[in-house]
Amino acid sequence: MQAPGSTLPSPDDRELVEGFARVVAVEPGRVWLEPEQTSSCGGCHSAGLCGVGSRNPKRLELRRFALGGDLGLQMGERVVVGIPETSLSRGALVAFGVPLVFLAAGGIAGQEFGRSDGLAFVGAVVGLAVGLLVSRVLASVMTARGQLTPRFLRRAYQPAQGASCSPDQG
Amino acid sequence: MEHYILLFISAALVSNVVLMRFLGLCSFMGVTTRVDTALGMGASTTFCITISAMIDWGIEYYLLEPYGLGYLRTVTFILVIAAAVQFTEATVRKVSPTMFQLLGIYLPLITTNCAVLGVNLLLVEGHMNFIESTLFALASSLGYSLVMVLFAGLRERLALADVPRLFAGPPIGFITASLLALAFMGFSGMSTN
Repeated sequence: MQAPGSTLPSPDDRELVEGFARVVAVEPGRVWLEPEQTSSCGGCHSAGLCGVGSRNPKRLELRRFALGGDLGLQMGERVVVGIPETSLSRGALVAFGVPLVFLAAGGIAGQEFGRSDGLAFVGAVVGLAVGLLVSRVLASVMTARGQLTPRFLRRAYQPAQGASCSPDQG
Repeated sequence: MEHYILLFISAALVSNVVLMRFLGLCSFMGVTTRVDTALGMGASTTFCITISAMIDWGIEYYLLEPYGLGYLRTVTFILVIAAAVQFTEATVRKVSPTMFQLLGIYLPLITTNCAVLGVNLLLVEGHMNFIESTLFALASSLGYSLVMVLFAGLRERLALADVPRLFAGPPIGFITASLLALAFMGFSGMSTN
């Protein structure tokens, strides 16, 4: 069992989703990392049009995260971080699934009791607001348990100076 | 309630947005290399489609239809979808910044996903009331997510299989997708019941 908030890999984590990040700031007791531009999409010839292929520094800055503990990392260093696969799916369900369930329930209740589109709309909006609040509470519980915190796995492979290629190997 | 359940099954399975209407094929092929990415993309798309369908219903029945502005429908819906994606992004960031770090990468992809616009345009053709259109959008997008996760699972297995070199990669992906579409055709008989 691991202490809540720990950023080290746990033996309980059967499968981790791994990603690359770069150290952008080092503070006493924690480091700030910026995830490398990755895309869930495989990419195509139109990648520049949908924004997947473009490197937006502001977007990456918003996704910066901190890792606690003395990890001995230097500025600019590339590391491999991971998060349990179950956390990702649970996070998606909490962030998107819970508000939608409340939205649908509120909308149906409004329609059934009021028999009008106006009340159904009000019910759906109220349901969405309640769902977002519930989602926020659940998300804070998951964060407090450290379920959504990426874990430091290892330093990423650094190509030798003057190497002709730099494979993205962990 | 039975009416809503039938509407839900019809939108999610019988008229599946990917395998029956062939919408959202770009993300269907591009984001289904892993189950977790497919689930993240599916969940965020479901949220955006439902929110944009709610707003588009209001715009259609209180603005576009009464004033004969139907020719502005596509442009208006695209703007609403872009706004819904921004709203989703801001909401997820507010609900949990950590979740935004995990799930934020899928949101830019949704803006250009034709399934989102397609579902909104189908709602106009259906002439449904508010709750029916919202449930139809929710069910359609859940059907999209289901197919994404199923296909991602198949592709994860295919990645380990000994596929002939000629069929490796996208060709075997398309063959698998066609078999999946054939399987979903089995639901079409349910619509007459």
